[in-house]
Amino acid sequence: GRLKRAAAFATGKIIIEEEDLEDPLWELEMALLESDVEMTVAEEILQTIRDKMIGETRAQVDTTGELVSEALHDALYDVISVGQFDFDQRVREAEKPVTIIFTGVNGVGKTTSIAKMARYFEERGLSTILANGDTYRAGANEQIQKHADNLDKKLISHEQGGDPAAVLYDGVEFAEAHDIDVVLGDTAGRLHTSNDLMAQLEKIDRVVDPDMTLFVDEAVAGQDAVQRSKKFNDAAEIDGTILTKADADSNGGAAISIAYVTGKPILFLGVGQDYDDIERFDPERMVNRLLGEEE
Amino acid sequence: MVLDNLGSSLRGSLDKLQGKSRLSEEDVEEIVKEIQRSLLSADVDVSLVMDLSSSIKERATEEEPPGGTSARDHVLKIVYEELVGLIGESTEIPLEPQTIMLAGLQGSGKTTTAAKMAWWFSKKGLRPAVVQTDTFRPGAYDQAKQMCERAEVDFYGDPDEEDPVKIAREGLEETDDADVHIVDTAGRHALEDSLIDEIEDIESVVNPDLSLLVLDAAIGQGAKEQAREFDDSIGIGGVVITKLDGTAKGGGALTAVNETDSSIAFLGTGETVQDIERFEPNGFISRLLGMGDLKQLSERV
Ligand SMILES: Nc1nc2c(ncn2[C@@H]2O[C@H](COP(=O)(O)OP(=O)(O)OP(=O)(O)O)[C@@H](O)[C@H]2O)c(=O)[nH]1
Ligand SMILES: Nc1nc2c(ncn2[C@@H]2O[C@H](COP(=O)(O)OP(=O)(O)OP(=O)(O)O)[C@@H](O)[C@H]2O)c(=O)[nH]1
Ligand SMILES: [Mg+2]
Ligand SMILES: [Mg+2]
Repeated sequence: GRLKRAAAFATGKIIIEEEDLEDPLWELEMALLESDVEMTVAEEILQTIRDKMIGETRAQVDTTGELVSEALHDALYDVISVGQFDFDQRVREAEKPVTIIFTGVNGVGKTTSIAKMARYFEERGLSTILANGDTYRAGANEQIQKHADNLDKKLISHEQGGDPAAVLYDGVEFAEAHDIDVVLGDTAGRLHTSNDLMAQLEKIDRVVDPDMTLFVDEAVAGQDAVQRSKKFNDAAEIDGTILTKADADSNGGAAISIAYVTGKPILFLGVGQDYDDIERFDPERMVNRLLGEEE
Repeated sequence: MVLDNLGSSLRGSLDKLQGKSRLSEEDVEEIVKEIQRSLLSADVDVSLVMDLSSSIKERATEEEPPGGTSARDHVLKIVYEELVGLIGESTEIPLEPQTIMLAGLQGSGKTTTAAKMAWWFSKKGLRPAVVQTDTFRPGAYDQAKQMCERAEVDFYGDPDEEDPVKIAREGLEETDDADVHIVDTAGRHALEDSLIDEIEDIESVVNPDLSLLVLDAAIGQGAKEQAREFDDSIGIGGVVITKLDGTAKGGGALTAVNETDSSIAFLGTGETVQDIERFEPNGFISRLLGMGDLKQLSERV
């Protein structure tokens, strides 16, 4: 009310009203959309900020816009830092072999990420084998075989058209028999609208019962990231996400969308096509990047 | 689904106009907001959405609906016309000998599209050949070769050669018999300077009649910068949108068309070689807005 406002004014404070927030929040919404944060996710984040700020007082020296930006930083950080865990430690301490299955839509970079992870584990003293559960796409066996050769890893694969769950299962058995630490299991790319292929993914999850499922998506993805991450998480529950092609994109709002809808952490960023182009995900850096506060 | 809700909220605010013959300023505001929402959640570039919505607003406020037309139909017609104005007709693909080069981001669907287009041309009675110049991605040669076997079309590639320019040159010579040459290239993005230089070199040897940018339907706001860079380096004459069998609306293609001053040529709707369609504006616009047949309505008005 007016009285409260006058009182606040007398003490050098201003009460933030709904209408003060309208412009800054609209600008932030556009900025989030420009960064590829999905619309409903952006709106929910802004609603949190609105609820938090209305009726708050601010010092006259600060503008409402500045305060909203600060609140946004915190809200984004809350979303994007969800569920972070020490990946290396979890793998190191788990009973071997640790089976990790990679899932995601077509062409996002699952196979390449597997190759990168083989290198990543090698650098940490863990042995790996690759198992090709993509028995569908043309050239899939040749692609992952080439990666395995380059990295000097063993690949378990079956003929094209074979049962993906069976290949992955063979991978696990081989690893058990040969004391291999980590099984990296590839799956064929599939769109979340394909009921058959999503059912197949559920079957893989059931039969192989992996220790970890990593969802792979690309930083260049837009609004659809919400739909697909949700559907993949429903079909074969994920432990975290690898966001690839971060080198192609300066925004990466897909990270926010995915973390928000799955409630699972973003674990790695793919930053190029070479085997070393993988980084641990750093939530604070991503928020700064989203808010253009980098460097 | 979220996106369907958006479509239906747009329908909802339009339905409120049912029966009205004049629009108040608030009516226009509300509809324009809903249209903005639909386009933004279809991944259309934010500034392009703002431009579009201000022309829609201006026209809806100023233009008198033709006699007997409801305010609702009038607005829909304006929206449809503005979008058609931007998208235009499908890229012209003459049924004659030609060379087409495909370019685009990693994993966008170029190799699959090359085989699909070859299949499409062969169904039109022409003899196509695919030339695979991707020397970078492991298995690229085998993938393209197998896809071309499935499409029953000619194929050239050289798994032992490291120079894509040389493969392009030799590939065009070796497949001289073919009417239509489709040249596949390795994936790359706007920030990879050396790869952008590489595709310029390939382009100058291939000398294509048409270069198509292959875009994933799910690409976000980055579509603009990517399209601009590919257009600057090799000149984009059309866009192919892939993976439309998912839920992504493909608004990035609208941005790309706007940015490159081109049009959309083909749509990819699956992983097999037959899953290709020529672009058709009406269906695409209806999908973008999450609404039914707008062309029919627009013609009726
Ligand atoms: N620039 C860049 N390219 C990447 C990255 N990760 C993967 N790629 C490229 O993206 C393309 C597709 O990668 P794949 O690993 O084959 O993707 P996939 O998800 O296994 O694809 P499907 O099995 O066909 O569904 C390849 O050209 C990769 O080199 C990355 O972090 N940055
Ligand atoms: N569902 C579906 N999948 C598609 C479509 N087009 C391509 N794909 C799949 O998307 C993935 C990537 O396709 P590619 O043709 O290898 O893409 P690319 O652009 O050649 O990839 P790079 O050469 O690595 O840059 C593969 O799994 C394809 O099967 C489509 O229209 N629908
Ligand atoms: Mg793969
Ligand atoms: Mg390719």
